[in-house]
Amino acid sequence: MSDLTKQTPADPSTIERVEITVNGQTVQARTDKPLIQACIQAGVEVPHYCYHPGLTPEGSCRICQVEVQQGKMPARVMVACRTPVMPGMVVNTETEGAHDARRECLEFLLKNHPLDCPICDKAGECTLQDYSFTEGQGEGRSVEPRRKLEKRKDLGDVILLDQERCILCTRCVRFMDEVPKTPQLCVAGRGSHSTIETWNDTPLSGNYQGNLADVCPVGALTLKSFRFKARVWNLTKTASSCGECSRGCATTVEVLRKGEVTRIRPRHDEDVNGWWMCDTGRFALDAFSLADRLVGTLLPSASRGWDATSVENGLQIASDMLTTGDKPLLIASPWLTQEEGGELLALGQTISARVAFVSTASNDLADDVLHTGDPGPNRRGLSDLGLEALTAEEILHTASEHSTVLCIGERVARLLGKGEAEGFNSLPPSARVLLFDCELPDAPTEGNSPIDIAIGLPSSVERVGHWVNIDGLRRNILQARPAPAGVWNTLRLLKYLHELLTNREVQS
Amino acid sequence: MVVVQRRELTFWERIYLPEIFRGLAITFKKMFEPRVTRQYPEEALPTNEVTRGQPRLVVKDDGNIACVSCGLCEAACPAYAITIDSQETERFIEREPERFEIDMLRCILCGFCEEACPKEAIFMSDELELANTTRQGLVYDMKQLERPASTLKPRIDYVRRINDRW
Repeated sequence: MSDLTKQTPADPSTIERVEITVNGQTVQARTDKPLIQACIQAGVEVPHYCYHPGLTPEGSCRICQVEVQQGKMPARVMVACRTPVMPGMVVNTETEGAHDARRECLEFLLKNHPLDCPICDKAGECTLQDYSFTEGQGEGRSVEPRRKLEKRKDLGDVILLDQERCILCTRCVRFMDEVPKTPQLCVAGRGSHSTIETWNDTPLSGNYQGNLADVCPVGALTLKSFRFKARVWNLTKTASSCGECSRGCATTVEVLRKGEVTRIRPRHDEDVNGWWMCDTGRFALDAFSLADRLVGTLLPSASRGWDATSVENGLQIASDMLTTGDKPLLIASPWLTQEEGGELLALGQTISARVAFVSTASNDLADDVLHTGDPGPNRRGLSDLGLEALTAEEILHTASEHSTVLCIGERVARLLGKGEAEGFNSLPPSARVLLFDCELPDAPTEGNSPIDIAIGLPSSVERVGHWVNIDGLRRNILQARPAPAGVWNTLRLLKYLHELLTNREVQS
Repeated sequence: MVVVQRRELTFWERIYLPEIFRGLAITFKKMFEPRVTRQYPEEALPTNEVTRGQPRLVVKDDGNIACVSCGLCEAACPAYAITIDSQETERFIEREPERFEIDMLRCILCGFCEEACPKEAIFMSDELELANTTRQGLVYDMKQLERPASTLKPRIDYVRRINDRW
């Protein structure tokens, strides 16, 4: 059975396939995957709770029972997730025997499962709920009361456990053992007293706890931060990529009522992140907050405040600033997409400017699971395009050599200031500073802000483009919600500015 | 084209006055007959448990709202009149609405919310009157929607009775 635990074979050409029949359909099934994968491959839906394609199959829930006939033996009902694929298998998921086996199994699973779907956060994406709806019977036959266990068990900062809802599939136990390789959960007790526990009630630790809420097929493990925040059917889901490190995990960005990003979940991408993502990326929701956004164009006024104007006007003024004086310095944020980076480079060539991007300092979050420790999601792509990599210190140092500095991209002010306003504000006062960012950095405590013009940009959940991750894989980001009114798409803004500058060059 | 053939008036009709007196006679006769019009709003409409008025939220006898903010009424609402945000409570039922708004201008009184509710928390009351000077004033919040279970008792019993028929 150890063959079934392998996630990806070293060489795809070594994958062995055999011919089996699933519901009358001939399938070339992989021998390194359990039978359930062959059924899924054939487009046949087999319910499963304990089976997860990214984890070792265990066969504890018994819901994936199908009827298998092999050779001269009579057809038998067996669990698809623990059965290796053999040549000539005839699998039938729809026979009366298979249905009966699954229905009986479901009745036992529902014996102790509380009927609190209206309260449960998993309702709407719960496979137990779905399968009870299609296959389950309307009323339970059990006369004994349901078991009473702890409903709000605290498992650390991220996860809350509802022991009553747990069906003991042990996906969470296997996840902790196999993916971050930090075994922390176990099944304690015997029989109907079994519960999921941590050792001595120690809170969970690590950067991968959030995945427990995703692997849980029912609502037993839920995210504290998402608890009662939204009903899942009210969330608009968009496939995108995570921008918190250069891994660029495939994500689903979930937005509530076209407003705030309420949840970010991993999406399956075999080559990038498998099925998982880290908590740093999952809980980086503040970056997409709609509060304190920089909208339209702001120009410093005489009274240390800001005068607002339109983006067209702002770009006109910006093009004036970029064409006067000597060689300007264009600083990109590593959140810029390939398309925007290419346009910035072309723009830089038109005005013969020095084009660089902020080479972010590594943080201590790197691990051997997913997080690379490098917070710039498109560092590889921008370097490949030919942008110069400069650290924040180098940029602040060289900025004094240029009369105009244009900083463009999400979080660029924060990166230059290393999280503090003072860093960005220490840009030389002699230079004209143009800031195109999602938010305005804090004003310095003394003196005037170095910014001469600030234009609002969309964040990475509000635009479309491509990032190239650390392994050179090109993955897209998609628009999950409209940008605030008065914010132009970065690419449109760059093209408009480029056109203004080209016309100016032609005139002179 | 249709040519409408009008009836020729008779001599008595053409001299006009007899017809006037005939009309007045009918008016005079009706003054002594029982009235069929209702003096609304002085005379309110009779309502019973079958009346499907505006939806209202049930406050249980222990003073807590019956709603657990599951969002099924919000999903069932064909007019998108309902908006719910939830929060956690210390009670045994862990969830309650933080915001429960029904836009009464959108509400079409269809009763789907009452039908969808798994917790017997929203019922169609016998309240039918709706007037305000602003549109925002007709977006009812939780305070305006809450009614003690005793006021909605006839309707609750009626709904249970018809549900038992299934």
